[in-house]
Amino acid sequence: MSIWLTYVGMAAVTYAARAIPLLVMRNNPPPWLALWLRYVPAAVFTALVVPALVTTSGAAGRVLSLGPAVLAGIIGALVAWRTSNAILTVVCGMVSFWIIRMVMGG
Amino acid sequence: MQGETTGRWQAIRSGFVATIIVWPGVAPFGMVYAVSALAAGLSFAETLGMSLIVFAGASQFTAVGLFAAGANPISIIAATAIINARHLLLAASTASYIRQSPGWLRAVVAFQLTDETYAIGVQQFEKTGGDAWFQFGANLSLYFIWALSTVIGSLLGALIPDPAGLGLDLIFPLTFIAFLMPMVRDRVNRSVALLAAGISVAAALWLPGSWYVLLAGLIGSAFGAWFAVLTPMQAPEEQP
Repeated sequence: MSIWLTYVGMAAVTYAARAIPLLVMRNNPPPWLALWLRYVPAAVFTALVVPALVTTSGAAGRVLSLGPAVLAGIIGALVAWRTSNAILTVVCGMVSFWIIRMVMGG
Repeated sequence: MQGETTGRWQAIRSGFVATIIVWPGVAPFGMVYAVSALAAGLSFAETLGMSLIVFAGASQFTAVGLFAAGANPISIIAATAIINARHLLLAASTASYIRQSPGWLRAVVAFQLTDETYAIGVQQFEKTGGDAWFQFGANLSLYFIWALSTVIGSLLGALIPDPAGLGLDLIFPLTFIAFLMPMVRDRVNRSVALLAAGISVAAALWLPGSWYVLLAGLIGSAFGAWFAVLTPMQAPEEQP
């Protein structure tokens, strides 16, 4: 039973983080906030991409790891820049990751 | 009314379909989550229950580890709060696009907002304007695949190979790269991304959990706003 109660607690804190801004920000935000929010997507997307490519999580926490993923990311970025096609970006990035890893013997 | 309902369905559907691109990245981890949850001693109902009630990948993996270690509920809830604090920023950003939709709809959208569907939503809204129904469809799509992969993982069990070993954890960042590159054609966004890259890597190495997303998101975007004010050509809010 305590597992389900723990879930309720986990869901509550998660929902609070997701819901409070969505429920509070009903009106036109002040100009400074609107301007700030305009640049959140680029900052958040970058934060979701770059550490995922250049670090790995292990028993000792997250460590820097410059391997095939970095090259695959660069190739993906070039494809995205040229084509703006998400599926092509993912496919080219994954295929080059597997090739690079095979060549490097990983 | 007829037209409004049709438009609503179309928006839900296109949000749902647009999110299918991240399914291959999500599903293997949903399966691995299920395997590790069962291995930690949770029942099938408890394993699926966490996916349906909490619905937050990284914190579910962490919770499984803590359950296995016999941690007390308070520390599990606290760890969840820390890992999911980044959603404050994602939700604030989403709110700036869909704040005009009804409160109950925003409350529903909030329940299933994730990193993935935030990204899917924003890249759509940047092109066509905000639409809470599109966001709802995207969220539903990820909720569906997360629950389905939890069930499949529970059934297949140890047959599932390690998705990180196959490099499938790269699908997320590659998808986000595809969304990011069109943005960084703009000079301000490009400097935001460079700064956020530096901050996020440093914070990922030295801070626990996913503070790096919140930190890089807040500081990077604040810098962007400041930079945009300094370069009036790019700043939209220049009226005194």
